[in-house]
Amino acid sequence: MLELRNLSVRYGAVRALEGVSLQAVPGGITAILGANGAGKSSLMRAISGIAPVAAGQVLLDGQDITTLPPPVRARLGVAHAMEGRRLFRQLTVEDNLKLAWSFGARREKLAASLAEVYARFPILETKARTAAGLLSGGQQQMLILSCTTIRSPRFLLLDEPSLGLAPIIVQQIYGFITNYAAQSGIVVMIAEQMATLALRVSHQGLVLRRGRVVLAGAGEELLRGNDGKTLAASYL
Amino acid sequence: MDDFFFSLLLAGISVGAVYALIALGLNLTFWTTKTLNFGQGSLMMLCAMLTVFLSSQGLAAALAVLGSLVLVAALGMFIERWTVRPALTSSGGSMGWVVSTLGFGIFLQGMAAKYFGSQAMAFPDLVFTAQDFVTLFGQYVSLQYLVVLAVAVALILTFEIFVRCTVWGHAVHAVSLDPELALVQGIPVRRLILGSFMLSSILAGVAGVLIAQIGGTVDPAFGFDLVLLGFVAAVLGGMGSSLGALVGGLLVGVISKLVGGYVSTAAEHGIAFALLMLALAVRPQGLFGRPEVSKA
Repeated sequence: MLELRNLSVRYGAVRALEGVSLQAVPGGITAILGANGAGKSSLMRAISGIAPVAAGQVLLDGQDITTLPPPVRARLGVAHAMEGRRLFRQLTVEDNLKLAWSFGARREKLAASLAEVYARFPILETKARTAAGLLSGGQQQMLILSCTTIRSPRFLLLDEPSLGLAPIIVQQIYGFITNYAAQSGIVVMIAEQMATLALRVSHQGLVLRRGRVVLAGAGEELLRGNDGKTLAASYL
Repeated sequence: MDDFFFSLLLAGISVGAVYALIALGLNLTFWTTKTLNFGQGSLMMLCAMLTVFLSSQGLAAALAVLGSLVLVAALGMFIERWTVRPALTSSGGSMGWVVSTLGFGIFLQGMAAKYFGSQAMAFPDLVFTAQDFVTLFGQYVSLQYLVVLAVAVALILTFEIFVRCTVWGHAVHAVSLDPELALVQGIPVRRLILGSFMLSSILAGVAGVLIAQIGGTVDPAFGFDLVLLGFVAAVLGGMGSSLGALVGGLLVGVISKLVGGYVSTAAEHGIAFALLMLALAVRPQGLFGRPEVSKA
């Protein structure tokens, strides 16, 4: 289980996150919603260890990891797909995958893991020797998802996986995420601006506004409750 | 082939091999942090001077070299922690490290002058003496030159294989491309950076010992202009490329020795910087450097 207790993140004088608490259980998807600058990315960065935590705690299965450096958290099973399609752009597709696998949990052999990725996204096999920076946006997102899942994580954080992609690709990517979450039974967290998209697949949702939680509940409830007016209002 | 040309070529290749080692050392820290230790020259000097000092205390030559290398490696860690890291973190991607690494080098030079004196000290013979030679194509070839060349080529091949074929090589490259992403992927970025500074300092130390061996003496000012030539070699070959460091080093070494022999020794260094300017104008990524590729 992934748990946040009164988590606050500050960049100098800027308060990015203020007293956020949250519990995410394995096998479920948690949607983190909110407009630009609401604190979604800061929340995820605080979990993976690259945002300055001013107060509060991050716990993985009851273990306090608030002060652990990012590589140690990664070894504990945190996989973070950062916003802005972060990849090693000069490295080839396969080198990106190999690198992610090498520093992951290595639950399966490299060859088997690669075969699994290529079976799911055949285009990545075709482009295996291409520099990752030269892929299309959709292909890059497929590679990012594969890089995070090839590490056999226990806590998967996806920051805006739909950003800037064509609707048909978004559907494909969300299909993959839902399947993966159901099969692997791990904690999955998605940060999204497109609320309905994320809530449709999520078990619980959390709406942030200026770093504070303004709305929280089951996914379905947030989507349908009060005809979605409450949800819409929380964005304004 | 006349003797004069051949001897210049040979001298050029062996000093070129040392430039290549310096360039390789500069590359190492460039790989992980995109910074260069401009104080490398002082580490070369210090390692050679410590070797002289330790062997004058009765230590065997091999142990003296080893001990000096260990001390220089420790200094490398110190440089990363106290001159490079603060400069990189304080004002976000500033160029402060240029001044701080150079400044620390000058400091070391001053300390060496204070404690070892500013007179040139004779460097002991390590493996071969200046009188040992073999005949190659009817020419006398100093064995010291061959040792320098062999060490440089062996180290450069090792690094090339490490970077191309091992996971850690890819990890080092990854750290230079996007340190934050490397961190969240579980790559021990801090340790890699520290390691790169240690290894870079060791390479500087090896280069220092080798070139002191050829020259026969060391003094506190030794090494300072050598680093500049190593820098030219690194840029010429392509910053970050090990093979480029070797080719760049040999080119700088041979061309400057030839110019020195046929034109004037005063032009030896000048021609190296002319090469640098030419390279920057015609092929800024260097002979073996990769231009950056990316799609928005």
